Amino acid sequence: MDESSKPTTDRAVPGFDASVAGKRAECDGGGPILGTRYAGRQEFTGTLSGEFVDHGDPPWRWYLLKDLERKPDNYADECVWCESGSVFLVDEPNRVPGRP
Amino acid sequence: MAKNPLHTPFCEMFGIEYPIIAFTHCKDVVVAVTNAGGFSVLGEAMHTPDEIAADLKWIRDRIGTKPFGVDLVLPASVPPAGGLDELKSKIPQGHRDYADMIHKKYDVPEPKGKEALHQWGGLNQQMARAQLEVLLEERVPLLASGLGNPAFILDAAHARGIKVFGLVGKTRQAKREIEAGVDGIIAQGFDAAGHTGEMGTFSIVPEVVSIAQGKPVIAAGGVTTGRHLAAALCLGAAGVWTGTLWLASRESDVDMIIKERLIASTAEDTDFSKSISGMTMRVLKCPWTTEWKKPEAPAPLPAPYQMLLSSPYIQGANDNRRGDLMTEAAGQGVSFVTAMKPARQIVMDVVDEALTTFENLTGDD
Ligand SMILES: Cc1cc2nc3c(=O)[nH]c(=O)nc-3n(C[C@H](O)[C@H](O)[C@H](O)COP(=O)(O)O)c2cc1C
Repeated sequence: MDESSKPTTDRAVPGFDASVAGKRAECDGGGPILGTRYAGRQEFTGTLSGEFVDHGDPPWRWYLLKDLERKPDNYADECVWCESGSVFLVDEPNRVPGRP
Repeated sequence: MAKNPLHTPFCEMFGIEYPIIAFTHCKDVVVAVTNAGGFSVLGEAMHTPDEIAADLKWIRDRIGTKPFGVDLVLPASVPPAGGLDELKSKIPQGHRDYADMIHKKYDVPEPKGKEALHQWGGLNQQMARAQLEVLLEERVPLLASGLGNPAFILDAAHARGIKVFGLVGKTRQAKREIEAGVDGIIAQGFDAAGHTGEMGTFSIVPEVVSIAQGKPVIAAGGVTTGRHLAAALCLGAAGVWTGTLWLASRESDVDMIIKERLIASTAEDTDFSKSISGMTMRVLKCPWTTEWKKPEAPAPLPAPYQMLLSSPYIQGANDNRRGDLMTEAAGQGVSFVTAMKPARQIVMDVVDEALTTFENLTGDD
């Protein structure tokens, strides 16, 4: 990346990645905890829909994981957005989704 | 001349004296540890970009050009969006009743201020990116990602001379990040304060070292003495990343009541609990964590719902300084936090004990 080019924060570009659509995946997830100075980990297993959103530039890719087979107790939603670097395809553990 | 066992590749990378890294939210601890020859990383996950910029200036005014780092908690998963009121309305009545029972039983006072939850502008990807932008602009020497994979920001960071480390709780996360090109890994074990993974420090550190392709691996979780430092180096680590060690230091801005609790606590006084945030965290035991462990307690809700339930308790306890109710993240090494010492002395004590440990291992008699 050119040193002078500033990363942008405000763009969110949706897309579809057919190469991962329908694949089972695990997400080593988690994030900061609302209103505190703590973080937490959360794990999910489900099926990638293929939908993604690229946030900003350089793009920070997030995939939609649906049909959750494993999720935290009482997790109310049917899906979760997972950062591509934290997604592990069950049948292709060495492949990083979103990378050639 | 004999090799100095404390001079590790991490010391080489940053030109520092001791491979002791302080993770802290307190700027005074950053300054004291840095000026004592260690390395400090300031936790900035909850700060706005402007606050981060102000903190960096404050620190640089006091440490000059010495290197230091900033830790952000990059998210790795995000539930579908929803407003605070919508989130609150999804909390089941049984959970509300259980929280009310705890409030009544322990006479938990009302928070004095506004709930912190309402003051936060949104912990989403945009916020994280805005925080990152400041760190890139300020060319902070080390950027640590306390949770998510920092691969997407590596090129931008490296172009500005910033080293990027990722904190992981699993070996496969470390492998991913190493392959993406991070400059080092913090391998965080189950003994740690806060958001630990499930592997013990003694297991995760050598495993990550073995796949790190020679990049520095820093051991985190339960490190509070020079013996821990020596052991971590023997496991192949290039340093230790410590949080609990600094909480009761003289410079630390942690409430004196918590400092006293930490000094009196042992590993068994910590709890690995989902009751605060819905995600497992190691914290000092308190009535809230104990009550949610009881068989009759409902299963804690996932984040962010459990946090919405626990925040009136946490804030009521903190605002009113109720020592019997308060809690803080703390690791199992808390047993060795036994006095309120200046941070410089903590650095020196850990260094001296590590050197003595090595001497005892290799000495003639
Ligand atoms: C009060 C406190 C808050 C913490 N908050 C964060 C955080 O915001 N980001 C992060 O990456 N780690 C956080 N941690 C975990 C530390 O990075 C570190 O992994 C941990 O303290 C190491 O274990 P130890 O406390 O046994 O030394 C926190 C630790 C403590 C004690």
